[in-house]
Amino acid sequence: MFKTIVVREILEYLKSAKFALGLVITVVLVAASTLINVEDYALRHQDFLDAKKELQAESQRVNILRGPQVLSALVRGKDKDLGELVRGWVGDVPSELSGTMNVRKPKFPSLARLSAVDFAFLVRVVMSLMVIFLAYGAVAEEKAAGTLKLVLSNALPRDKLLLGKLASGLAVVLGALAVASLLAVIFLMLHPAVSLTGSDILRIAGMMAVSALYLSVFYALGIFVSVKVDRPAVALMVLLQAWIFLVVLYPNLSVTLAERLVPLPSEQTVAAEKAAVGDRFRKDIQEVNEKLGQATPTAEDRIRFNKVWSQDAEEIFKVDSEFSRLQTRQMNAAELLSSLSPAALYDQVMNRLARTDIREYERFMEGAVRLWRSYVERLNLRYTDPEAYKKSQLPDFGYASDSTSQTIAAVWPQALLLSLFSLVFFSLAYTGFLKKDLR
Amino acid sequence: MKTIIHREFLDHVQSLQFIILFVLSITLFAASGFVYVRAQTERDVYFRTQMTQAERYPSTMGVNLFRRPNPLGFVAAGGDQDRPSGYAVQGGELTPLPVNPRTFKLPAIPALDWSFLIRVLFSLYVILLGYNAVSGEKELGTLRLVLANPLGRVKLLVGKYCSIMGATLVPFFAGVLVNLIIVEAFLPGGLAAADLGRVPFVLLLTLAFFSLFALLSLLFSSLISRSSLVLLTLLAVWVLFAVIIPSSSIVLAEKMSTAPSEVESARNFEPMVQKEVWARIAGIQGRVNRGEFQTEDEIRRETDRIFEEGQVKVTEFYANYARAENERARKAKAMSRISPAALFQYAAEDIVGTGDTGEENFLSQCREYSRAVDDFILRKLGRIVRVSRWSFSTNMEFQGKPIVVSSPQPPNYQGDMSDFPKFVERRPAFGEAFKSALGDLAGLLVWNILLAGLAFSAFLRTDVR
Repeated sequence: MFKTIVVREILEYLKSAKFALGLVITVVLVAASTLINVEDYALRHQDFLDAKKELQAESQRVNILRGPQVLSALVRGKDKDLGELVRGWVGDVPSELSGTMNVRKPKFPSLARLSAVDFAFLVRVVMSLMVIFLAYGAVAEEKAAGTLKLVLSNALPRDKLLLGKLASGLAVVLGALAVASLLAVIFLMLHPAVSLTGSDILRIAGMMAVSALYLSVFYALGIFVSVKVDRPAVALMVLLQAWIFLVVLYPNLSVTLAERLVPLPSEQTVAAEKAAVGDRFRKDIQEVNEKLGQATPTAEDRIRFNKVWSQDAEEIFKVDSEFSRLQTRQMNAAELLSSLSPAALYDQVMNRLARTDIREYERFMEGAVRLWRSYVERLNLRYTDPEAYKKSQLPDFGYASDSTSQTIAAVWPQALLLSLFSLVFFSLAYTGFLKKDLR
Repeated sequence: MKTIIHREFLDHVQSLQFIILFVLSITLFAASGFVYVRAQTERDVYFRTQMTQAERYPSTMGVNLFRRPNPLGFVAAGGDQDRPSGYAVQGGELTPLPVNPRTFKLPAIPALDWSFLIRVLFSLYVILLGYNAVSGEKELGTLRLVLANPLGRVKLLVGKYCSIMGATLVPFFAGVLVNLIIVEAFLPGGLAAADLGRVPFVLLLTLAFFSLFALLSLLFSSLISRSSLVLLTLLAVWVLFAVIIPSSSIVLAEKMSTAPSEVESARNFEPMVQKEVWARIAGIQGRVNRGEFQTEDEIRRETDRIFEEGQVKVTEFYANYARAENERARKAKAMSRISPAALFQYAAEDIVGTGDTGEENFLSQCREYSRAVDDFILRKLGRIVRVSRWSFSTNMEFQGKPIVVSSPQPPNYQGDMSDFPKFVERRPAFGEAFKSALGDLAGLLVWNILLAGLAFSAFLRTDVR
C-alpha cells in the first residue's frame, strides 16, 4: 500500500507543470551559472599563476599571492572579494589583502553586495522556491478537491499516507537536486583548468548532502503548512511569506543587528592607538633612518634598523589583530543570530566546505605573518652571519587549511540544526495530520 | 470602473499579503531609518573631523579631500560605503584614500535603503498581489460572470491594474512617511529642503517601477491559466531581475573586456618602472665615472629630472589602469540594464547624487581643485614636484666619496597660505542629476509601455471560459 502511494505521488509530481517548469528553470540556471563561474575561476587561476611568476620575486618586500579556491566555482562565498595580494616589509607586517595593483576591493560598488549567482545561490533561492511550490498542495489540494476523504476511506492509516507523501515529495526534490548537482559537477570537472583532489570530491559530496538537508527543511515546512491550512492558495501565500522572511529578510537583519550589538572601535580610535605606537618609536626610527641614510652604513646600523622597524611593525600589528579579533567576534555574533534561518545556516556550511569563508582567509593571513617573521629573522642573519644567510632560504609560503575531517567536525552543529528544523516541521505536520478534520 | 477599483482594492486590503506587506513596510522602513541615522551620524562626525583637520593645516606637500556623506543615502546608498572616502591631491595626482572595509568579515548584505526595499521586497509583493488578478478569477469562474456585465475588457484590466498599484502604494507611502519622520527627527540637523525636494522624483520613479511589475503580473496572469504556475513564472522573473542579471553582468564584463586586467597591469608595472627610471638612474653612476658632472648638485638635478620624467610615465600608467577598470565597470553596468531593477537603481542613485555618477562628479571637482593648487604652488614656488606611490633612495660614488641620492620631496611652502585654494564640494544641481537619470527613466517607461501593450493584447484574447 505504502509503495502504491509513493509511486502514485511521484508520478503525479513528475507529470505536473510546476515541476517541469521548476526543473527547466533550475537546470538552465545551474548550467549557465556553472559555465560562467568555472570560466571565471579559470581566469582568476591563470591570473594567479602569471602573477606568481613575476610579482613574488621582489627581494625588498614580502609579497604573498592568494590563489582562488577551485570550489569557488560552485560556492563563491568571500573568495573573489577578499583580494589577491598581501604585502609586507620589515616595517610592516602583512595584515590586509588588496588587489594586485594595491587597490582595495570591491571594484563595482553599485553592483557589489549582491549574492553571487552560483550553485549555492540557486539551491538556496531558486530550488527552495520550487520545493515550496511542490509541497504546498500535498495535503491542502487533496482536501480542497475532496479526495483526501476518499483516500482515507480505504484501509490506509493516516500516518502511512503522510509518510508516503513525504517520501515521494522528497524523492522528487532530491532527484531534481541530483540532476542539478550532477550537471554542475560535470561542467566543473570537464574544464581543462580544473583539477579536483580526493578531498575536493569529498567536500562536493558534503555540499550535496547539505543541499539535500536544506531542501528537506523547506519540504517539511511545506507539508506542515499544507496540513494546517485548508485552502491551497492560502497555504502557498503563507509559505511564501515564511520563505521571504527566512531567505531574504532575516539573514540580512541579523547581520545589521550584529553590527549594532558588537560594535567595532571607530576608525579614529584605531588610528589613535597606532599613532601612540608611532610616538613611542619615533625617536628610535628617526635615529636608525639617519644612520642608514649615511653613505656607508655599518652592519650594526642595519641590524638596529631592522630591529627597530620590525618591533614597531609588531606593535602596530597588535592593534590590527585586536581589531581583526573584534571583527571576527562580530561575524560570530552575526552567524549565531542568523542561525534561526535555514538559508543562513546553509550558506555557512557551504562556504566552509568550499573553503571560501573567513576562517580560510584567517588561516591564510596567519601563514602570511609567519612568513614575514621568518623573513625578518633571515634579514638579520644576513648581517650577523652572512655564511649561514647564503645557505638558508626563505621558506615557501604555506598555511594549514582545514582538513576535510576538521571541516566536517566544524560544520556538524549547523547540519544538525538543519536536520532538527526538518524533523520539527515534520513532527508538527505529522501530529497535525493525525488530528486533522477531513471534512 | 470606480466600482471595480473599489471592489478589487477592498479584496486586496483584506488579503494576507496586504496585511503582511503593511506590517513589513512600516517595520523595515523604520529599521532602515534608525540604521541610517546612526551610521550617517558617525559618518558625519568622521567627515567633519577629517575635513577641519585638512582645512586647518593646508600644505603644498599634499591635501586630503574628503567627500561629504550624501544626506540622501537612505534613499539609495549607491555602494558609497564601499567607495573611497576622498582623494589625496599631491603634485597634480589624485590618489583615492584607502577604503576601510570595516565589516568585510560579515556576510555581504546590501544596504537597507529605499532602493533595496523597493527593488527586492516591494517588487515581490506587487507580484504576490497581482499574480491571480486574471487567472484567479478564471479558476473561480467569476471572470465570465464579471465580463457578462456591460463592461469592456480594457476597463476591467485598468481597474485591476489600479487596484494592484493602490494596494502596493498604501503600505509603501506609510513606510516612507515613517522613514522620513525618523530621519527628520533623529538626524542631527535634519534634511535640507533642497534634498527633500528630490524625494518626490524618486517616488515617481518608484511608481514606474511598481507599475512595471503590476503589468508583468497581469500579462502572465492572462497568458497562463493556472495561478500557481503564474506565480512560479513571475517569481523566476523576479529572481532574474533582482539578482541574477545584475550579479552576472560583473563576471561577464570581466570576461568580455579586452582592456588589460588588474594582474596584467600589475605585471607590467615593475618592468615599466625598471626601464623608465631605475635603469636610467643606475646609468648615472656610469656617467659620473665618465666625468659628465662637475658638482654633486648637478647629479641631484639630473636624478630629479629622470625621476620626474618617470613620474609622467607612472601617472600615465595609473590613468590607463583606471581607464581599464572604468571600462569594465561601464560594461557591467550596461549589461545589467537589461534588468529594470538595475535601471531603477541607477536612476535613483543619479537623482540623489550617490553611486557612480556621484563619485565621478566629486572626482571632477577634485581635479579642478588640484589644478588650483598647482597654480598656487607654481605662483609661490615656481616648480611642482610630482609625488607618486613609490620613491627611491640609492648610494653613488662621486669623486671618490660616497653620496646618497633620493627621490625629491615636494617643497613645503612656509609663507602666506591665506590665498591657498579652499575646497568646497558642490553636489550636482537637480537639473543635472535629472538629466543623467533620464536614460534609465526612459528605459523604465519603455518597459512599461511594452508590458502594457502585451498585457492588454493578451487579456483581450484570453479565453474566459
